[in-house]
Amino acid sequence: MPRPSLFGLLLVAPALALVAALFLWPLGHSLMAAFTLNGDFSLAHFRKAFELYSNDIVFTLLIIGLSTLLIAVISIAIAGVLTLSETGWLVAVLKQLYRWPLFIPFIVAGQCMRTFLAKNGMMNNTLVSLGVLDPSMTTSFLDWRGIVITFVWKQAPFVILMLAGAMASIDRSTVEAGRNLGASRLRCLIEIVLPQVGQTLLVALVLSFVTMLSVLSVPMMVAGSQPTMLTVDMAFRINAYGDYPTANALGVISYGITAIVAWIYLRHNLRQHAEGGR
Amino acid sequence: MTTLRALPVAVLKVFALALFAFAIFGPLTNLALWSVAERWYTPFKLPVTYGLRYWEVVFRPTGDAMASLMTSIWIALLTVAVSLALAIPAGYALARLKLPMRAAIMILFLLPQAFPSVAIYINVARIFYQLGLTGTVGGVVLVHAAHGLVYAVWIAAAAFAAVDRDLELAARNMGASPLRAFFTITLPLALPGIIASAIFVFLESLDEFTGTFFVGVPQVSTLPLLLYNASMGGNYQIASITALILLVPSVLFMLFVERFLRADVLSKVGH
Amino acid sequence: MSTKLKIALALAASLTLPATALAQTLNVATAGDQNMVDYIKDFLGPMFEKANPGVKVVAVGTGPGDSGSQKIYEKLSAQKAANADKWDFDVIVAHQKMSGQMVSEGLLAKYREKIATGALVTSPTASNALGTNVDGFVMPMFQSQTAIAYNPDMVKAPPATYADLREWVKANPKKFGYNGIKGGMSGVAFTAGWVYAFGGDAEKLIKGPYEAATKASWEAALAELKAFNQNAVITPGNAGTLDMLNRGEIAMGPVWVDMFYTWMNDGKLPPTMKLKLLSPGMPGQPMYYAVPAKAAQAELAAKFIAMATSPQVQADGIVKKFNWYPGIDAKHLEGKLDDATWKKLFSDLTPDDLSKNAKPFPIAPYFNDILESYEKKVVN
Repeated sequence: MPRPSLFGLLLVAPALALVAALFLWPLGHSLMAAFTLNGDFSLAHFRKAFELYSNDIVFTLLIIGLSTLLIAVISIAIAGVLTLSETGWLVAVLKQLYRWPLFIPFIVAGQCMRTFLAKNGMMNNTLVSLGVLDPSMTTSFLDWRGIVITFVWKQAPFVILMLAGAMASIDRSTVEAGRNLGASRLRCLIEIVLPQVGQTLLVALVLSFVTMLSVLSVPMMVAGSQPTMLTVDMAFRINAYGDYPTANALGVISYGITAIVAWIYLRHNLRQHAEGGR
Repeated sequence: MTTLRALPVAVLKVFALALFAFAIFGPLTNLALWSVAERWYTPFKLPVTYGLRYWEVVFRPTGDAMASLMTSIWIALLTVAVSLALAIPAGYALARLKLPMRAAIMILFLLPQAFPSVAIYINVARIFYQLGLTGTVGGVVLVHAAHGLVYAVWIAAAAFAAVDRDLELAARNMGASPLRAFFTITLPLALPGIIASAIFVFLESLDEFTGTFFVGVPQVSTLPLLLYNASMGGNYQIASITALILLVPSVLFMLFVERFLRADVLSKVGH
Repeated sequence: MSTKLKIALALAASLTLPATALAQTLNVATAGDQNMVDYIKDFLGPMFEKANPGVKVVAVGTGPGDSGSQKIYEKLSAQKAANADKWDFDVIVAHQKMSGQMVSEGLLAKYREKIATGALVTSPTASNALGTNVDGFVMPMFQSQTAIAYNPDMVKAPPATYADLREWVKANPKKFGYNGIKGGMSGVAFTAGWVYAFGGDAEKLIKGPYEAATKASWEAALAELKAFNQNAVITPGNAGTLDMLNRGEIAMGPVWVDMFYTWMNDGKLPPTMKLKLLSPGMPGQPMYYAVPAKAAQAELAAKFIAMATSPQVQADGIVKKFNWYPGIDAKHLEGKLDDATWKKLFSDLTPDDLSKNAKPFPIAPYFNDILESYEKKVVN
């Protein structure tokens, strides 16, 4: 093992400095506010946060967890089709289609979905006029389902983009071998392709998870506020009461949630590097 | 036999593709419809009257949609430049050199993405007022860069890792200095991946409005800020039109960058 | 290295770029919906620029509801904390609660007695913002009011009181919608009105004095609200309620009167929709014009406000163009408005309704107690 490179640290320093100055330092202020009461260390703000928002903490975890899971499944499926399908036109069209939501800011996605998913929104109206759905059967999706759908719609293209890229670069011969032995394409995808791109999938999902956790506009615009996600509660704490300490405590809690995925990432990353010996 | 079986399969594929297209474009169609709807209310399923009245409103002389759009694009481009300038050395170090706590450093870049931002930006604004950076494009660019850096650094690290180390060694063996080897071999080979990361930084900047508000307003106003106000106020026509305008630079930038998106780089992001 | 150098140069250039080339810029920051920004951009701004050559009015919206006012407060307070000697907003337009806080933290300047129109307003809201004395620091821009909007095609006989509404919602589940308390002020107003109706002494909540123990007396009212919510739809935001009315998903919901008329003018509500003010009362509030303590253009700012609160501008802009109730006393607008406009403003809600059932919000400490009790008892 070579010894730690001082030069390397020097190269990372400018980027780290930017993050430190514009993020870590302000974060320090937030942490101070969250953990002190009248200058003394205190957990009072966390007690309040749990007392008022325990439902919302669970709700946030479930929403983000479910969204991440759905994104994973959909991305694997679509990236798999892009990589393994032998129907040229299908791949070509799909490639052009899937990435559009990537360009839509979250706030616009929220705006689109709020009129699309409503009870008398465009989705139900289209389904009713096609005769698929009876008008009496329509329901509004403007609740937790709306948030999940919007997140998946907006974030899946990002994961597909990364995943399809990774799948394209794996050694085709392993897939060919599997196919020649008579394995179905689904089996090839799950048993041969997926294990080789696991790391990319994990990274893309970590980035998506973390991004969704910090989005305010989607839960605010798509769903009513009971229950709601932590970002909405934070904004409400600040806007209605000017109560930064509790808002910051909620921020720390959402960092706790981030810590879970950061831990998974770290463990995986360390193992990878130990194996790869890079 | 094969043709007989192929037909239903093809129909099935077309059907699945149509469904997918509806899922992707359905919400966007809604956006497009609202942008030309002058009157649309229950019980009508489509706009009652169409027109370009709201386009005129957005582009009216006193409105500043175009000026804001230009500011937004300028800020996004500068953000990309700053992020890449910082990410190239950092990415190289993370990919090639032995760093203590390498994974922790990688995660550090992830953190600004994760914290719901309002509380942070208030403190940033306080610092920037003291430095005289509020109300400047530079201030906004720095804030956006800190936020988008995770994409730039992670992808740059992947791009450098994807470069074949033997090529570098060969250059060194032929007597090139380390710096020369970097600029003639490593950087050109990694450049496609690095440029590809630009699209994410660009989009991140075009999506951001909280930081822009605290650091830029009133001197610097961007299109996403206008969009936020119109959208939260339920001003659907204006919001839809603004969103459509905002789509233009994103798509153009994507088309430009697309040729640089390389599979082998994407496969190494975040490693 | 030339690209890097270019980047550095570009950045340096952008850092030193002056914000505007004009001699005098008046920066107006306004909370509230887009129509507020448009009002300043399209109506007041050009008018003021014409009267004062060389001046450019820049309007910035900070977002709807209390969060918009909160952002203005945060900008001012950050500049105070940084000891900036000139602050970057010259005129602000903010809600009551934040205006009170900004006055008590010394972020605003006293200017009302310096301008001629200062004497045209006598309503108590001009000197008292939810219990904080703001006399001299603010001028009401307009008065707005919440009311129940309903679709007469779906509701033949709208309820007249909160108690009627409670029964109506039981009989017609999921046909009434409001936005809770986190999505904007129309839902907050509805909730405050609920506490006025079922929580005991409404007068005390509006006038004070504050007693921390009072909130215990709302238990029953809030428990009933929780039951009520089972049959109501919780909508996403002020606009969310109007949105569901737009598509006919709900038949009734609390809205801001001015937003209601603006949506109707924009073709986003059926023209047959009507308003109803529930008894014993629903809250309304003014928006205030104020000048930050260290505004760079304080004199110009006062001049701007004087113009904006003059009877003719209030008549043409506030009442006729935007369907708000005037900020200055209505008697000064007599003769400045045609009958049709006047009547339209008061067609659904008569002056009589307004005088009986238009209430202020509770004073700030009760206001916060109601919100927090709602979070505790109704939501979590």
